[in-house]
Amino acid sequence: MIPQTLRITLCIGVIVYFILILRYLKLKMLELKYTLIWLVAGLIMGVMVFFPELLTRFIRLLGIESNMNGLFILAIAFCIMVLMTLTSIASRTSMKMRTMIQEVAMLEKRVRELETENVSLDNENDHKENKGTETV
Amino acid sequence: MRTLIIIPAYNEANNISTVIKDLKENYPSYDYVIINDGSTDRTEDICRENGYPCINLPINLGIGGAVQTGYKYALENGYDVAVQMDGDGQHDPAFLEGMIKLIENDEAEAVIGSRFVEKEGFQSSATRRFGIGFLSILGKILTGVRLKDITSGYRMVNRKLIQIYANDYPSDYPEPEALVIAAIYGCKIKEYPVIMKERLGGSSSINLKRSVYYMIKVSIAMMIRRLSLGFRRAKK
Repeated sequence: MIPQTLRITLCIGVIVYFILILRYLKLKMLELKYTLIWLVAGLIMGVMVFFPELLTRFIRLLGIESNMNGLFILAIAFCIMVLMTLTSIASRTSMKMRTMIQEVAMLEKRVRELETENVSLDNENDHKENKGTETV
Repeated sequence: MRTLIIIPAYNEANNISTVIKDLKENYPSYDYVIINDGSTDRTEDICRENGYPCINLPINLGIGGAVQTGYKYALENGYDVAVQMDGDGQHDPAFLEGMIKLIENDEAEAVIGSRFVEKEGFQSSATRRFGIGFLSILGKILTGVRLKDITSGYRMVNRKLIQIYANDYPSDYPEPEALVIAAIYGCKIKEYPVIMKERLGGSSSINLKRSVYYMIKVSIAMMIRRLSLGFRRAKK
């Protein structure tokens, strides 16, 4: 069994963890979509602090003898999962950015062409006006 | 057929005007557009001063993103045929007419300007030819189509492929992968013998250091393309 003091420390740790995430969310430094996984992880940690038997039972179920080893494996698996989500977010962002850069560049070309057209139209108009005054 | 020549250019200030002058004087029937891929040299200024039609990407996207911009532009402006041609003078526009004929006569939907059909002109180094041979065989295994010069950047596609490429074009060394896409969509691909010159100036985007990365990345990309597009087709 986990000693009482350790459980209290862990409990405080989980509370601090939640406060940090919620604070970030409140300050809009994180998007809720991307923090759901962190919130779920916090909930699991909370459950583990209050019912440590569940964790040991789960670890035995996986066929792992030592509690600490089991905990490490779970933690590492969680980290890999988060990293994969991050990579996929980065990939999606770069794809979106690529499309945006392309669209901006094509728009820039159109704007440039419209501007030169306008300039030449203006010149023509000026020309006509000048002619008008000459005849008068 | 309305034809657009897409010329991706990254820091080609020294070559671009030679290439364009040749096109303008000798091949005025083709439209062309330069895709300036965030060059850091005077490429953009040169295009502007001479009034070359030019799309300036504000950020460097790499050859894949640049070429795809060209296909999007071709799609928006209703071109029937799009040609990819490097901005460094390696690709001779004299072969365009022959390539277009293949598309006009419905003999092919994509035409590759190939160095290895008649083995004339600049053939590049033995190690590179070995790498190209490997990718070519991989392409054959994945799609059933053997293309000798699978990495050639001199290629022409019809309207159907313009549409496909505008929506989905690989990034980062895209040439072989793009052909896998074409083959999987059931397009007829033909190789047309061309003679390539050695580049006028500048250096190839692939140096020795990168070639290992190149081979691994391109092979995996081709295989993944086969898998994902294969599934998509099965769903339909």
